[in-house]
Amino acid sequence: MIKEKAFTQLIQEHQGMLFKVTSLYTDTKEDQEDLFQETVFQLWKYFETFRNESKITTWMYRVAMNTAITHLRKSKKRPNAVAVEHLVMLKTENHDPVWEDRLRQLYQQLNKLNVLEKGIMLLLLEDKSYKEISEITGLAPSNVGTRISRIKKKLRENLVK
Amino acid sequence: MEWEELQATWAQLGQELEEQKKLTKEIIMKMTQEKFTNKFRTLTQIETVGAIICYAAAIGVLVNFNELNTWYLALCGILTLAFITILPTMVLRALAKIRNLNIIQGTFKDNLRTYTKAKNHLLRLQRTGIMASFVSLFICLPVAAKLLSNKNIFEIGLKPTAWIGLGVVVILMFFFSRWGYRGYKKVTSAAENLLRDLE
Repeated sequence: MIKEKAFTQLIQEHQGMLFKVTSLYTDTKEDQEDLFQETVFQLWKYFETFRNESKITTWMYRVAMNTAITHLRKSKKRPNAVAVEHLVMLKTENHDPVWEDRLRQLYQQLNKLNVLEKGIMLLLLEDKSYKEISEITGLAPSNVGTRISRIKKKLRENLVK
Repeated sequence: MEWEELQATWAQLGQELEEQKKLTKEIIMKMTQEKFTNKFRTLTQIETVGAIICYAAAIGVLVNFNELNTWYLALCGILTLAFITILPTMVLRALAKIRNLNIIQGTFKDNLRTYTKAKNHLLRLQRTGIMASFVSLFICLPVAAKLLSNKNIFEIGLKPTAWIGLGVVVILMFFFSRWGYRGYKKVTSAAENLLRDLE
Protein backbone atom coordinates (compact mmCIF):
# COMPACT_ATOMS: atom_id res chain seq x y z
CA MET A 1 0.00 0.00 0.00
CA ILE A 2 2.90 2.35 0.80
CA LYS A 3 4.41 1.63 -2.58
CA GLU A 4 1.08 2.23 -4.30
CA LYS A 5 0.53 5.51 -2.50
CA ALA A 6 4.03 6.79 -3.22
CA PHE A 7 3.76 5.74 -6.84
CA THR A 8 0.39 7.36 -7.52
CA GLN A 9 1.56 10.53 -5.84
CA LEU A 10 4.64 10.59 -8.05
CA ILE A 11 2.60 10.11 -11.22
CA GLN A 12 0.10 12.73 -10.14
CA GLU A 13 2.86 15.23 -9.52
CA HIS A 14 4.61 14.61 -12.81
CA GLN A 15 1.74 13.81 -15.15
CA GLY A 16 2.37 17.03 -17.07
CA MET A 17 5.93 15.98 -17.80
CA LEU A 18 4.78 12.52 -18.89
CA PHE A 19 2.19 14.11 -21.14
CA LYS A 20 4.84 16.25 -22.80
CA VAL A 21 7.17 13.32 -23.47
CA THR A 22 4.41 11.06 -24.76
CA SER A 23 2.86 13.71 -26.97
CA LEU A 24 6.23 14.48 -28.52
CA TYR A 25 6.70 10.95 -29.76
CA THR A 26 3.17 10.27 -31.00
CA ASP A 27 0.86 11.85 -33.52
CA THR A 28 -2.61 10.82 -32.48
CA LYS A 29 -4.52 11.11 -29.24
CA GLU A 30 -5.04 7.33 -29.07
CA ASP A 31 -1.36 6.62 -29.61
CA GLN A 32 -0.40 9.22 -27.01
CA GLU A 33 -2.76 7.69 -24.46
CA ASP A 34 -1.40 4.25 -25.20
CA LEU A 35 2.18 5.43 -24.77
CA PHE A 36 1.23 7.29 -21.59
CA GLN A 37 -0.27 4.10 -20.18
CA GLU A 38 2.76 2.06 -21.19
CA THR A 39 5.07 4.63 -19.57
CA VAL A 40 3.12 4.54 -16.30
CA PHE A 41 3.33 0.76 -16.39
CA GLN A 42 7.09 0.81 -17.01
CA LEU A 43 7.55 3.26 -14.14
CA TRP A 44 5.53 0.97 -11.88
CA LYS A 45 7.64 -2.00 -12.95
CA TYR A 46 10.91 -0.33 -12.04
CA PHE A 47 9.65 1.87 -9.21
CA GLU A 48 11.13 -0.31 -6.48
CA THR A 49 14.49 -0.50 -8.20
CA PHE A 50 14.93 3.28 -8.06
CA ARG A 51 17.76 3.82 -5.60
CA ASN A 52 17.92 7.58 -5.17
CA GLU A 53 21.27 7.67 -6.95
CA SER A 54 19.83 10.31 -9.22
CA LYS A 55 16.92 12.71 -8.98
CA ILE A 56 13.55 11.00 -9.31
CA THR A 57 12.69 13.22 -12.29
CA THR A 58 15.93 12.20 -14.03
CA TRP A 59 14.95 8.57 -13.61
CA MET A 60 11.40 9.30 -14.80
CA TYR A 61 12.61 11.10 -17.92
CA ARG A 62 14.94 8.22 -18.68
CA VAL A 63 12.19 5.60 -18.38
CA ALA A 64 9.69 7.75 -20.28
CA MET A 65 12.06 8.45 -23.15
CA ASN A 66 13.25 4.86 -23.44
CA THR A 67 9.63 3.68 -23.44
CA ALA A 68 8.77 6.22 -26.13
CA ILE A 69 11.67 5.11 -28.32
CA THR A 70 10.75 1.43 -27.89
CA HIS A 71 7.14 2.32 -28.69
CA LEU A 72 8.26 4.09 -31.86
CA ARG A 73 10.35 1.11 -32.93
CA LYS A 74 7.42 -1.21 -32.35
CA SER A 75 5.02 0.91 -34.34
CA LYS A 76 7.78 1.29 -36.99
CA LYS A 77 6.85 4.83 -37.80
CA ARG A 78 7.82 8.33 -36.96
CA PRO A 79 5.26 10.78 -35.85
CA ASN A 80 4.86 13.46 -38.45
CA ALA A 81 1.50 15.11 -38.43
CA VAL A 82 0.94 17.60 -35.67
CA ALA A 83 -2.53 17.18 -34.32
CA VAL A 84 -2.67 20.07 -31.95
CA GLU A 85 -5.96 18.74 -30.62
CA HIS A 86 -4.06 16.02 -28.84
CA LEU A 87 -1.49 18.44 -27.53
CA VAL A 88 -4.19 20.71 -26.32
CA MET A 89 -6.08 18.08 -24.42
CA LEU A 90 -6.46 21.07 -22.60
CA LYS A 91 -9.82 22.65 -22.72
CA THR A 92 -8.70 25.87 -21.30
CA GLU A 93 -11.05 28.44 -20.00
CA ASN A 94 -8.67 31.03 -21.35
CA HIS A 95 -8.68 29.77 -24.93
CA ASP A 96 -5.65 31.34 -26.58
CA PRO A 97 -5.50 30.75 -30.35
CA VAL A 98 -2.18 32.60 -30.66
CA TRP A 99 -0.52 30.33 -28.13
CA GLU A 100 -2.09 27.22 -29.72
CA ASP A 101 -0.72 28.30 -33.08
CA ARG A 102 2.72 28.77 -31.56
CA LEU A 103 2.49 25.40 -29.92
CA ARG A 104 1.63 23.84 -33.24
CA GLN A 105 4.63 25.53 -34.83
CA LEU A 106 6.85 24.39 -31.99
CA TYR A 107 5.79 20.77 -32.43
CA GLN A 108 6.29 21.09 -36.18
CA GLN A 109 9.86 22.16 -35.53
CA LEU A 110 10.42 19.38 -33.03
CA ASN A 111 9.06 16.79 -35.43
CA LYS A 112 11.73 17.71 -37.95
CA LEU A 113 14.36 16.43 -35.54
CA ASN A 114 15.43 12.82 -35.15
CA VAL A 115 14.46 10.76 -32.10
CA LEU A 116 17.51 11.62 -30.00
CA GLU A 117 17.60 15.29 -30.99
CA LYS A 118 13.94 15.54 -30.11
CA GLY A 119 14.61 14.15 -26.65
CA ILE A 120 17.52 16.51 -26.07
CA MET A 121 15.42 19.43 -27.25
CA LEU A 122 12.59 18.48 -24.91
CA LEU A 123 14.98 18.39 -21.96
CA LEU A 124 16.49 21.70 -22.97
CA LEU A 125 13.03 23.27 -23.15
CA GLU A 126 12.37 21.81 -19.71
CA ASP A 127 15.34 23.82 -18.50
CA LYS A 128 17.49 20.84 -17.69
CA SER A 129 21.21 21.39 -17.27
CA TYR A 130 23.72 19.76 -19.61
CA LYS A 131 24.66 17.46 -16.73
CA GLU A 132 21.08 16.30 -16.28
CA ILE A 133 20.58 15.88 -20.03
CA SER A 134 23.74 13.81 -20.07
CA GLU A 135 22.45 11.62 -17.21
CA ILE A 136 19.08 11.09 -18.86
CA THR A 137 20.29 10.41 -22.39
CA GLY A 138 23.51 8.63 -21.50
CA LEU A 139 25.54 10.98 -23.72
CA ALA A 140 28.80 12.52 -22.52
CA PRO A 141 28.31 16.14 -21.32
CA SER A 142 30.62 17.46 -24.04
CA ASN A 143 28.63 15.54 -26.63
CA VAL A 144 25.43 17.07 -25.27
CA GLY A 145 26.84 20.56 -25.81
CA THR A 146 27.85 19.78 -29.38
CA ARG A 147 24.50 18.26 -30.19
CA ILE A 148 22.60 21.17 -28.70
CA SER A 149 24.56 23.62 -30.84
CA ARG A 150 23.72 21.55 -33.91
CA ILE A 151 20.04 21.31 -33.00
CA LYS A 152 19.78 25.04 -32.38
CA LYS A 153 21.46 25.71 -35.72
CA LYS A 154 19.07 23.33 -37.44
CA LEU A 155 16.10 24.98 -35.77
CA ARG A 156 17.30 28.47 -36.65
CA GLU A 157 17.62 27.44 -40.30
CA ASN A 158 14.15 25.92 -40.26
CA LEU A 159 12.66 28.96 -38.59
CA VAL A 160 14.22 31.28 -41.20
CA LYS A 161 12.74 29.15 -44.00
CA MET B 1 9.80 32.03 -33.80
CA GLU B 2 12.89 32.80 -31.78
CA TRP B 3 14.39 30.47 -29.19
CA GLU B 4 12.94 32.56 -26.35
CA GLU B 5 9.48 32.28 -27.88
CA LEU B 6 9.83 28.51 -28.16
CA GLN B 7 10.76 28.37 -24.51
CA ALA B 8 7.88 30.63 -23.48
CA THR B 9 5.40 28.52 -25.48
CA TRP B 10 6.73 25.38 -23.88
CA ALA B 11 6.57 26.91 -20.41
CA GLN B 12 2.95 27.90 -20.99
CA LEU B 13 2.17 24.30 -21.99
CA GLY B 14 3.66 23.26 -18.67
CA GLN B 15 1.44 25.71 -16.82
CA GLU B 16 -1.69 24.60 -18.65
CA LEU B 17 -0.91 20.97 -17.85
CA GLU B 18 -0.19 21.84 -14.26
CA GLU B 19 -3.61 23.42 -13.91
CA GLN B 20 -5.32 20.44 -15.45
CA LYS B 21 -3.95 17.57 -13.48
CA LYS B 22 -6.70 15.09 -13.90
CA LEU B 23 -5.31 11.68 -13.05
CA THR B 24 -6.67 10.23 -9.86
CA LYS B 25 -5.00 7.49 -7.88
CA GLU B 26 -7.64 5.05 -9.10
CA ILE B 27 -7.01 5.90 -12.75
CA ILE B 28 -3.25 5.50 -12.38
CA MET B 29 -3.51 2.04 -10.81
CA LYS B 30 -6.21 1.05 -13.29
CA MET B 31 -3.91 1.99 -16.17
CA THR B 32 -1.17 -0.19 -14.71
CA GLN B 33 -3.50 -3.14 -14.24
CA GLU B 34 -4.96 -2.72 -17.72
CA LYS B 35 -1.59 -3.14 -19.37
CA PHE B 36 -1.47 -6.66 -17.95
CA THR B 37 -5.09 -7.45 -18.77
CA ASN B 38 -4.71 -6.18 -22.34
CA LYS B 39 -2.21 -8.91 -23.08
CA PHE B 40 -5.17 -11.27 -23.15
CA ARG B 41 -7.64 -9.01 -24.92
CA THR B 42 -7.15 -10.42 -28.44
CA LEU B 43 -7.22 -14.00 -27.21
CA THR B 44 -10.43 -13.35 -25.30
CA GLN B 45 -12.03 -11.68 -28.32
CA ILE B 46 -11.14 -14.60 -30.60
CA GLU B 47 -12.31 -17.15 -28.04
CA THR B 48 -15.55 -15.24 -27.44
CA VAL B 49 -16.37 -15.19 -31.16
CA GLY B 50 -15.50 -18.91 -31.31
CA ALA B 51 -17.71 -19.64 -28.31
CA ILE B 52 -20.66 -17.72 -29.79
CA ILE B 53 -20.36 -19.75 -33.02
CA CYS B 54 -20.21 -22.97 -30.98
CA TYR B 55 -23.24 -22.00 -28.88
CA ALA B 56 -25.21 -21.07 -32.02
CA ALA B 57 -24.33 -24.46 -33.52
CA ALA B 58 -25.36 -26.14 -30.27
CA ILE B 59 -28.76 -24.43 -30.41
CA GLY B 60 -29.09 -25.62 -34.02
CA VAL B 61 -28.36 -29.21 -33.01
CA LEU B 62 -30.69 -29.02 -30.01
CA VAL B 63 -33.61 -27.62 -31.99
CA ASN B 64 -33.27 -30.38 -34.62
CA PHE B 65 -32.25 -33.13 -32.24
CA ASN B 66 -35.34 -35.26 -33.03
CA GLU B 67 -34.01 -35.68 -36.60
CA LEU B 68 -31.16 -37.77 -35.20
CA ASN B 69 -33.41 -40.79 -35.36
CA THR B 70 -31.07 -43.67 -34.58
CA TRP B 71 -29.34 -44.34 -31.27
CA TYR B 72 -25.86 -43.89 -32.77
CA LEU B 73 -26.78 -40.57 -34.41
CA ALA B 74 -28.32 -39.41 -31.12
CA LEU B 75 -25.14 -40.43 -29.29
CA CYS B 76 -23.05 -38.50 -31.82
CA GLY B 77 -25.41 -35.54 -31.27
CA ILE B 78 -24.95 -35.64 -27.50
CA LEU B 79 -21.17 -35.88 -27.81
CA THR B 80 -21.16 -33.02 -30.33
CA LEU B 81 -23.25 -30.89 -27.98
CA ALA B 82 -20.91 -31.64 -25.10
CA PHE B 83 -17.85 -30.77 -27.18
CA ILE B 84 -19.16 -27.48 -28.54
CA THR B 85 -20.50 -26.19 -25.24
CA ILE B 86 -18.24 -27.46 -22.46
CA LEU B 87 -14.84 -26.74 -24.00
CA PRO B 88 -15.45 -23.11 -25.09
CA THR B 89 -16.98 -22.36 -21.68
CA MET B 90 -13.97 -23.80 -19.88
CA VAL B 91 -11.54 -21.84 -22.07
CA LEU B 92 -13.43 -18.58 -21.47
CA ARG B 93 -13.46 -19.23 -17.74
CA ALA B 94 -9.73 -19.94 -17.70
CA LEU B 95 -9.05 -16.73 -19.62
CA ALA B 96 -11.29 -14.75 -17.27
CA LYS B 97 -9.36 -16.11 -14.31
CA ILE B 98 -6.09 -14.87 -15.76
CA ARG B 99 -7.52 -11.50 -16.75
CA ASN B 100 -8.92 -11.01 -13.26
CA LEU B 101 -5.56 -11.52 -11.60
CA ASN B 102 -4.88 -8.35 -9.64
CA ILE B 103 -1.21 -7.53 -10.08
CA ILE B 104 -1.41 -4.44 -7.89
CA GLN B 105 -2.63 -6.18 -4.78
CA GLY B 106 -1.08 -9.31 -3.35
CA THR B 107 2.54 -10.26 -3.19
CA PHE B 108 4.61 -11.02 -6.24
CA LYS B 109 5.02 -14.63 -5.17
CA ASP B 110 1.29 -15.18 -4.77
CA ASN B 111 0.51 -13.50 -8.07
CA LEU B 112 3.06 -15.56 -9.92
CA ARG B 113 1.81 -18.77 -8.31
CA THR B 114 -1.80 -17.98 -9.18
CA TYR B 115 -0.84 -16.97 -12.70
CA THR B 116 1.30 -20.05 -13.35
CA LYS B 117 -1.52 -22.28 -12.18
CA ALA B 118 -4.06 -20.51 -14.38
CA LYS B 119 -1.68 -20.50 -17.33
CA ASN B 120 -0.96 -24.22 -17.08
CA HIS B 121 -4.68 -24.90 -16.83
CA LEU B 122 -5.34 -22.81 -19.93
CA LEU B 123 -2.60 -24.48 -21.97
CA ARG B 124 -3.75 -27.93 -20.81
CA LEU B 125 -7.26 -27.05 -21.93
CA GLN B 126 -5.96 -25.98 -25.30
CA ARG B 127 -4.05 -29.23 -25.78
CA THR B 128 -7.13 -31.22 -24.77
CA GLY B 129 -9.23 -29.12 -27.11
CA ILE B 130 -6.88 -29.74 -30.03
CA MET B 131 -6.89 -33.50 -29.51
CA ALA B 132 -10.62 -33.56 -28.93
CA SER B 133 -11.26 -31.55 -32.10
CA PHE B 134 -9.68 -34.28 -34.25
CA VAL B 135 -11.88 -36.93 -32.63
CA SER B 136 -14.94 -34.68 -32.69
CA LEU B 137 -14.50 -34.09 -36.40
CA PHE B 138 -15.55 -37.70 -36.96
CA ILE B 139 -18.36 -37.38 -34.41
CA CYS B 140 -19.73 -34.10 -35.75
CA LEU B 141 -19.59 -35.22 -39.37
CA PRO B 142 -22.55 -37.71 -39.19
CA VAL B 143 -24.56 -35.15 -37.20
CA ALA B 144 -23.88 -32.38 -39.71
CA ALA B 145 -24.61 -34.68 -42.67
CA LYS B 146 -27.92 -35.72 -41.15
CA LEU B 147 -29.05 -32.26 -40.10
CA LEU B 148 -27.84 -30.34 -43.15
CA SER B 149 -28.47 -32.87 -45.96
CA ASN B 150 -30.65 -35.51 -44.27
CA LYS B 151 -28.08 -38.22 -45.06
CA ASN B 152 -27.13 -41.01 -42.69
CA ILE B 153 -23.48 -41.56 -43.53
CA PHE B 154 -23.37 -44.66 -41.32
CA GLU B 155 -25.66 -46.27 -43.88
CA ILE B 156 -24.55 -44.77 -47.18
CA GLY B 157 -20.87 -44.23 -46.35
CA LEU B 158 -18.62 -41.49 -47.73
CA LYS B 159 -17.72 -40.92 -51.36
CA PRO B 160 -13.98 -41.04 -52.22
CA THR B 161 -13.99 -37.27 -52.83
CA ALA B 162 -15.44 -36.72 -49.36
CA TRP B 163 -12.64 -38.83 -47.84
CA ILE B 164 -10.09 -36.69 -49.68
CA GLY B 165 -11.83 -33.55 -48.43
CA LEU B 166 -11.77 -34.93 -44.91
CA GLY B 167 -8.05 -35.63 -45.23
CA VAL B 168 -7.41 -32.06 -46.36
CA VAL B 169 -9.46 -30.73 -43.43
CA VAL B 170 -7.44 -32.84 -40.98
CA ILE B 171 -4.16 -31.54 -42.42
CA LEU B 172 -5.38 -27.93 -42.30
CA MET B 173 -6.62 -28.45 -38.76
CA PHE B 174 -3.23 -29.77 -37.75
CA PHE B 175 -1.42 -26.66 -38.99
CA PHE B 176 -4.10 -24.31 -37.66
CA SER B 177 -3.99 -25.94 -34.21
CA ARG B 178 -0.21 -25.75 -34.12
CA TRP B 179 -0.29 -22.07 -35.07
CA GLY B 180 -3.00 -21.30 -32.51
CA TYR B 181 -1.25 -23.17 -29.72
CA ARG B 182 2.02 -21.38 -30.41
CA GLY B 183 0.15 -18.07 -30.24
CA TYR B 184 -1.25 -19.03 -26.85
CA LYS B 185 2.17 -19.99 -25.58
CA LYS B 186 3.62 -16.71 -26.82
CA VAL B 187 1.00 -14.56 -25.11
CA THR B 188 1.08 -16.47 -21.84
CA SER B 189 4.89 -16.39 -21.75
CA ALA B 190 4.91 -12.65 -22.44
CA ALA B 191 2.48 -12.10 -19.56
CA GLU B 192 4.56 -14.31 -17.29
CA ASN B 193 7.71 -12.34 -18.14
CA LEU B 194 5.79 -9.19 -17.40
CA LEU B 195 4.90 -10.56 -13.98
CA ARG B 196 8.47 -11.66 -13.33
CA ASP B 197 9.62 -8.14 -14.18
CA LEU B 198 7.52 -6.89 -11.31
CA GLU B 199 9.62 -8.85 -8.85
